Amino acid sequence: MKVKILNWHAVASWTWDAQDEACGICRMAFDGCCPDCKFPGDDCPLVWGACNHSFHLHCILKWVNSQNSQTSQPHCPMCRREWQFKA
Amino acid sequence: MSSDLGILDSLGDEAIGDILQSWSGFCACTQALVDGRGDLSVGPDLVPLVATLCRHGLASLVRDHFLHALEETFKKNAVFKFWQQLHAYYDAQTLAVSKLHSQEGWPEEILNKSLEEICSEKGYLEKCLLILIHAFQSCEESISAEKVNLEQYGSNLIYRYQLMVSSVLLTTLPRHFPEMLRFYFKKKLEQLSTLMAEDYEDGNRFQIDDQKSKSNLASGEMDVDGSNRETIFSKNTSLVKNIGAVVRDLRSLGFTSLTEDAYASAIFSLLKAKVHNLAGDDYRAPVLGSIKEWIQAVPLQFLHALLAYLGDSFDYDSMSSGLKSPLASRPSCYPGIDSPSEGLVRWQLRLEYFAYETLQDLRIGKLFEIIVDYPDSYPAIQDLKQCLEYTGQHSKLVDSFISSLRYRLLTAGASTYDILHQYMSTIKALRIIDPTGVFLEAVGEPIRDYLRGRKDTIKCIVTMLTDGPGGNPSGPGNAGDSLLEELNRDAENQESTDYDDDINSDDKQAWINAERWEPDPVEADPLKGSRNRRKIDILGMMVSIIGSKDQLVNEYRVMLAEKLLNKSDYDIDSEIRTLELLKIHFGESSMQKCEIMLNDLIDSKRTNANIKASLPQPSLSGSEQGETDISLHILDATIISSNFWPPIQAESLNIPASVDQLLCDYAKRFHEIKTPRKLLWKKNLGTVKLELQFEDRNMQFTVTPVHAAIIMQFQEQTSWTSKNLAAATGMPVDTLNRRINFWISKGILAESAGSDSDDHVFTIVDDVNNNGLIHGSSEGLLAADEEGERSVASVEEQLRKEMTVYEKFIIGMLTNFGSMTLDRIHNTLKMFCVAEPSYDKSLQQLQSFLTGLITEEKLEMRDGLYFLKK
Ligand SMILES: [Zn+2]
Ligand SMILES: [Zn+2]
Ligand SMILES: [Zn+2]
Repeated sequence: MKVKILNWHAVASWTWDAQDEACGICRMAFDGCCPDCKFPGDDCPLVWGACNHSFHLHCILKWVNSQNSQTSQPHCPMCRREWQFKA
Repeated sequence: MSSDLGILDSLGDEAIGDILQSWSGFCACTQALVDGRGDLSVGPDLVPLVATLCRHGLASLVRDHFLHALEETFKKNAVFKFWQQLHAYYDAQTLAVSKLHSQEGWPEEILNKSLEEICSEKGYLEKCLLILIHAFQSCEESISAEKVNLEQYGSNLIYRYQLMVSSVLLTTLPRHFPEMLRFYFKKKLEQLSTLMAEDYEDGNRFQIDDQKSKSNLASGEMDVDGSNRETIFSKNTSLVKNIGAVVRDLRSLGFTSLTEDAYASAIFSLLKAKVHNLAGDDYRAPVLGSIKEWIQAVPLQFLHALLAYLGDSFDYDSMSSGLKSPLASRPSCYPGIDSPSEGLVRWQLRLEYFAYETLQDLRIGKLFEIIVDYPDSYPAIQDLKQCLEYTGQHSKLVDSFISSLRYRLLTAGASTYDILHQYMSTIKALRIIDPTGVFLEAVGEPIRDYLRGRKDTIKCIVTMLTDGPGGNPSGPGNAGDSLLEELNRDAENQESTDYDDDINSDDKQAWINAERWEPDPVEADPLKGSRNRRKIDILGMMVSIIGSKDQLVNEYRVMLAEKLLNKSDYDIDSEIRTLELLKIHFGESSMQKCEIMLNDLIDSKRTNANIKASLPQPSLSGSEQGETDISLHILDATIISSNFWPPIQAESLNIPASVDQLLCDYAKRFHEIKTPRKLLWKKNLGTVKLELQFEDRNMQFTVTPVHAAIIMQFQEQTSWTSKNLAAATGMPVDTLNRRINFWISKGILAESAGSDSDDHVFTIVDDVNNNGLIHGSSEGLLAADEEGERSVASVEEQLRKEMTVYEKFIIGMLTNFGSMTLDRIHNTLKMFCVAEPSYDKSLQQLQSFLTGLITEEKLEMRDGLYFLKK
C-alpha cells in the first residue's frame, strides 16, 4: 500500500521571537498588540532598539515623542540607554 | 285582627246579629264563588255583605278569609294536579334520560298543557278576587273618605294573591323541577338552533353567491342583510311563540328567576358546546369571529324574539346613553333587530364574555400543543389574545402553562434542543398575547431554571444562535437560517411596521398593577414610552439562561475555533456574517477576539497564496518522478494569533519526515516574507486529504494529521505492534489504540492479539477479498468529528483548569463548616481569595465547577447544600 497525500492543511501559530514575553511599555504580550491596535501581527509590528530591547512600534514611537518634548535625547525605557532603532 | 275584634266589645246585640248574619252569608258566597268553576253569577251577592262587614270595620277579616279560600281552592284544584302530571315523567327522566331525548313531545307537551291548566285556574281565582276588590270599591263609594286607602287595598290584594300563588308553588316545588325546565329549554333551543343554522347557512350561501366580490369570509365580517334575516326568523316564530307562552305562564306563576336561570343555563350550555365544536383541536384558523357571528345569529335572535313576545320594554336610548361597555368601542350589528333593548345588550355582553372565557379556557388547556404548533397556530394565539384582553384572566394562562411545562417539557426525556425550541416558540407566541413581556417573564422562569441545570445548554444555545436549525438534528427543518439571522430580520421588520398595541395599554397597565408586578421604569411621557418598553429582547432572554453574555461569547469562541481549525479551504463567509450579527447584539469589543480569529484566516489565505506564488512552478514532466517526492504545493496552512484563540489541545505527534520537511520549508518561507516573525507548528492540528493506493483500488480519506501519521507508517512495514507504532508516531499507547480505531472501522487495518497480552498487532488489509467491508472510497469523513476529538479545549476544561486553584480552598471550607450553600461558597471565595490569582468567577461558573466535583464524587449536594463526599 502507498499513501498519496493530496493536501495537507496544517496549523501553526506565529510569534515575534522576541527575548521578552511582553512589551515593557504597555505590558501587553508581544504576540498580542498594543492598546491602540485592533489586530496583532502586521498591523502592530515589533521593533528592536540598538540596545536589543524590543517594543511595539506604536508604543516606542509614543514614548520617543514624549521624550523628545522634554529632553533632546530619547532613552530606551528599559535600560535608559540612548534609543536608536536597530538597523 | 286584634283591633277588629276589639270592636265587638262596644257593639250592641243588634249589631252583633247583623255582623254574624253578614259573615255567614259572606263565607257561603265566597265558597260558591271559588268553587264556581267559571260561574261568577254569585258575584253581585257579595257586594252588600262586604259593605256591611266593612262598615263594622271588619275589612281585614274579610280580606284574609277570602284569600285563604283562594289559597285552599288553588291548592286543591290546581297545584296537586300540576305537580302530579309533571311527576309522572320525573321517574322516567331519572331512570332513562337517554330515552327521553328520543321521546317526542316530552317535556314540552306535558309542560305546556299543565301550565295552561294551572294558569287558567289561577286566572279564574284572580277574577274572583277582582269581584271582591269591586265589592270593596262599591262600599268605598258610600264611605268616600277612605277612597285612597281602599284603592291601595285593591292592588295590595292582587299582590298578596300573587305572592300566595308563588309561595304555594314554591313550597310544594319538587326537587327536579328546575332540572326539568333546563331540559325543556335545552331541547327547544337545540331545535331552534338547528332550524336557524340551516337558514343561516342558506343565508350565508346566498350572500356569498350574491356578492362574491365584496364578501370577505376570512375577516369574519359578514354583514348579513337585515331583511333576509327577518324572513328566516319568521319561519321560527311559532317555535319561539311556543317557548314564549311557557315562559309567560311560568312568570305568571312567580317562577320568573327560576325560568330565566333555566333558559340562561340552556343557552350557555348550547354556547359552550358550540364553542367547543367550532374551536376543536384546529389551531390554524381563527374561530372567534364565527363564534360571535353565531351568538348574533342564534341565541340573540332567540332572546330578541322572546323578549319582544313577552313585551319587555325597548329602550331606544340605551345605545346612545348610559352604556359604556366594551361594546361601545366597536360598532355592533344586530341583524334584523332595529334597535336592541337594554336587556338584549346585556345578554349580548354576558354571552360574549362567556364565549371568550370558554374559548380562552379551551385554548389555555391546549397552550402547550398550540405553541408546539407555532407559527402555524398563529390564529389560535390571536384568538386567545383577544379573549384574554376581554376577560383579563392572564394569570390563569401563566399557572396552567407552567404546570404543563413541568409535566411535559422539563423532563429528563426532552432534549435540550427541544426545550430551547419550545422556549423560543413560547417567547414568540406569548409576545403576541402580551407585548409587555410580563407573563413571559413568569412562564420563562421555570424553563430557564431547568435549562441552567443542563450541561449542554450553552452549547445548544450557541449552536442555535449561530448555526440555525440546520445544525440541530431534532429541530424543524427550516431553511438553514440561524436564530441570529431571524432575530435580525425581526428587528428590521419591527422598525418598519408600527404595531398598534396602544389601545389596550390601560387594561394592561391595570392588570400589571393588580398583579403587583414591577413594571419597567416608565418614562416621563407614558404615551411616548410605551412602545419602547414593549420590545421583547429574545436574545436577552436566551442570554439570561446562560447568565452572562461573556459566557455565551466564550462558548462561541471555542466552537468557532474548532470550526476554523478544521477548515481546509479558508472559506469563512458564513462565520463573518454571524460575527457581524453577534457584534450588533453583544458589542464590538466583546467579539474582538473572534474577529481576530477570523482575520487570522483571511491573513492565512493571503500569506499561503504568497508563499505558493514564490515557489517554482512544478514541471509537468517532473510530476511523474518518484511519488514519495512531494512538493510544497500540497501544503496549506492556517496561521493563528494564538494569544487570541482559546487554549489549543497540545498532543505530541511525529509526523512523517517528508511532511516534516515540507513544514520546515514552509516556515522558512514564512520567515522570509514576515521577518522577524516565525511559525510554530501545531502538528496534531489540521486536516489531511489522502489517497490509499492498493494494487486493486484507491481510497480517499479526509483525516486528522494523527490518522495520517498512523497510516503512513504502514507503507514501509505492513504490520506493527501498538508499542512500536506508538513509539514511531510519538504518541502514548492508549492514545494510539483509541485513534487507530478509525482505520480499523474503515477496514483498512486489522487488529490481532500480540505476544504480550496488552500489546496489539495491527496489520494492513491489503487484499480486498479478505476484507468483507468495502466502504465508499471518497467519503469526505472528518475522523476528528466522528471520534469527538477536539482541537480546542472546551470552556469547561478551561474553567476546570482555572478553578483547580480553589478546589483545595473549597474542600477546606466544607471540612470546617460541614455544609454550605452555593452563595456562601461564592461569597467566601470572593472574600478570601483576593491575592493572585484573585477569585473572579461568576456564580454560574462556580456552580458548574462544583457540579464537576460532584461527578468526580468529591462532593455531594442535598437540598441546595454542598457536602464533602464521605
Ligand atoms: Zn507595547
Ligand atoms: Zn499598535
Ligand atoms: Zn534598552
